Amino acid sequence: MEVLAALLVLAVVITTTMAMFVERQKRMQTANETILAYQAISNEIEVRRRIPYSQLETASPNFITDTAILNPLSPYAATVAVSPPNNSVKIVTISVRWRNGQRVERVAITRVDTGGSGLW
Amino acid sequence: MVNRERGFTLMEIVVVLAVFGAFLWIVVVLTADMRAWQKRMPVNFMTHPAITAVVSRLRKDVQDAAPPYYRETYGNYSMSNRMLIVYTLKEAGTGETVVWDFSTDGEVTRRAFTDISGATSTWTAHGTPTFSIGDFPIPGSPDSVRIQATDKDGKLAIDQIYQPRPH
Repeated sequence: MEVLAALLVLAVVITTTMAMFVERQKRMQTANETILAYQAISNEIEVRRRIPYSQLETASPNFITDTAILNPLSPYAATVAVSPPNNSVKIVTISVRWRNGQRVERVAITRVDTGGSGLW
Repeated sequence: MVNRERGFTLMEIVVVLAVFGAFLWIVVVLTADMRAWQKRMPVNFMTHPAITAVVSRLRKDVQDAAPPYYRETYGNYSMSNRMLIVYTLKEAGTGETVVWDFSTDGEVTRRAFTDISGATSTWTAHGTPTFSIGDFPIPGSPDSVRIQATDKDGKLAIDQIYQPRPH
């Protein structure tokens, strides 16, 4: 009986310690994955900002930039969606999904029809 | 009169071993899982202050770049995949030529030469990964800079594209 009681106490202590350790690892993993995803997204934004307004819908729905940095997240989906124009404004949403869609990071940028060429 | 012997019963030993075995199994599974994750992910360099500073300062220099943007040579320095020479604007509106030197492993040096006085300022970051510099041509916007860094296992850990901003 004494041995079992001691084991029970030991089990609680060890389980709690391991749960904390595992939780830390999960959070670190989440942070690392997020950093990789946002690097790819910011690179894609640099390109999508410079595509002419009239060509946004016809541009590839997949990332134009290199997505090699996302390899550790495989399998992943890196997509771009363009909303229908609303008062000469289009919303371009750039997304990265991984872990079978459980994790998603996305950024939406606003493109405005300037009536001519790009502002830069 | 009952004659009890000292020690543990077989059942107690079995229970203890079973509990201990379960703990061992959990530890082994968790360790294997974490090891597999570590092998898959690159080192997160962004937690390193010096590396974050390199990336941030380089981004600022490129985004504030002004014509002629980049120079093939400046003094004894030549543009390569381990060296970037960029002409950038300072807060006061004057310009400076900045040489980003990635040629020494584990070290990144930023040398700035001002237009007016030619004075130099040097800043060095240590403990950095191997950086390389390239470009990523964007139609109608050919002045991009692409900075990449790999960890010691060759996994791509930093990959960023920067563009000069309009002034």
